[in-house]
Amino acid sequence: MPNGKVVKDVMVDVFEYPHVPYWFTIKQAIGIIKKSLLVPEKCFHPLAVLVFDEKYNLMGFVTMKDILKGLEPHLFKTKTMADADVSYVDENALAGIEAGLFSSESKKLAEKPVSEIMVPVKTHVAPGDSVVKTAFLMVYNNTTILPVLENKQKLVGLVRMVEVYKEVSDSVIG
Amino acid sequence: MITSNPIDRDRPQKLYVQLYDLLKGKIEKGAWSVGSQIPTEDELCKLYEVSKATVKLAVLELARQGYLRRQQGKGTFVCKRVIPEGLTMFASFEEMMLEAGITFTTEVLAKTVMMPTEDLDVKLAVSDDQHLIYIKRLRSVDQEPVLLQEAYIPRNICPQLLEENITGASLFKLFEKKYGIPITKVKDYIEIAHVNEEEAGLLGLKTDSAALLLTQLFYSGETPIMFMRSLKRPDRFKFYIELDKKATQ
Repeated sequence: MPNGKVVKDVMVDVFEYPHVPYWFTIKQAIGIIKKSLLVPEKCFHPLAVLVFDEKYNLMGFVTMKDILKGLEPHLFKTKTMADADVSYVDENALAGIEAGLFSSESKKLAEKPVSEIMVPVKTHVAPGDSVVKTAFLMVYNNTTILPVLENKQKLVGLVRMVEVYKEVSDSVIG
Repeated sequence: MITSNPIDRDRPQKLYVQLYDLLKGKIEKGAWSVGSQIPTEDELCKLYEVSKATVKLAVLELARQGYLRRQQGKGTFVCKRVIPEGLTMFASFEEMMLEAGITFTTEVLAKTVMMPTEDLDVKLAVSDDQHLIYIKRLRSVDQEPVLLQEAYIPRNICPQLLEENITGASLFKLFEKKYGIPITKVKDYIEIAHVNEEEAGLLGLKTDSAALLLTQLFYSGETPIMFMRSLKRPDRFKFYIELDKKATQ
């Protein structure tokens, strides 16, 4: 990496993001996203809510996509939609189930805790890790945000794809 | 039978206060065990050579403090200590327990961060995207859970609190002594609440049974700094209010 930047140079404050404990419901998370993320001046990408345990350890992230999946699990259990990466969607099969999606059942599912829909933290980086390593971990783990832990324990920040991308692309293209 | 009367009429302390201290000592030292019936008023009069009015006052005060329970037609019994809670502004749980000579333990169930839900943003006068430190503690006396306490503190008021070991600490003391945030006003609301399954499990009560709920809003100047919700076992607490009428000029 030509400019030799490390994570601590590009990380953001965790308090830029909304926090919830794992026992908060999906309904509560929806309210928090509406107030904390879906306003132009706070639209801070990636749009995610951080989920913590009772000892303030980061457990995972909840995005709007995770909430939609949580509210309508059938959507992603349907055979034709089973693989989110497929380029072909069976429009007929989708039309067959479309009317029944996000029905009254979803309201009940909104009472589930966010711990059931969150994407758990799989890996982390340290403040001194390189941006290149971070880019690799993000792509490898299919994530756009990673926690920054000091001494593998204390959460000191978050590193996002947007900053990592900027650093890497600048160094490549110049 | 006592050999020499410990009530000293030459002492400036009122007789009923001396008797109160004596009887309280018997309870605290276990000479009168929990559940046992204490001597009748007449017996106490003879025993300590004091008037019935003196005995009555001492017993009434012990009942008020939660040491004794008077049962109409049956007598007066030593009861499981009820924790008296004065509605004084700085009466933290620790201070009340220390003052009452009661040993207690604290278990920190949660110390984490959350966003305001329901009307917490209004109560604490914060914007709805402001982070709150959430602390949940279970207080036990004699290994029995008596108080479940949840505190919500705007993070910007005291961010260091997240790093603090609060197991044996008083939040009031931390605010005032360590962080220099004086608590100048508190609004208390007392009501009966019905415990949910989780609260019942923690407090050793049946689900939906009644408990005392004290909600408090603490201020430093005009700024709300903490909202606290304390759920108390109804058989282990009682509130008293002492009102002094100030002399008019």
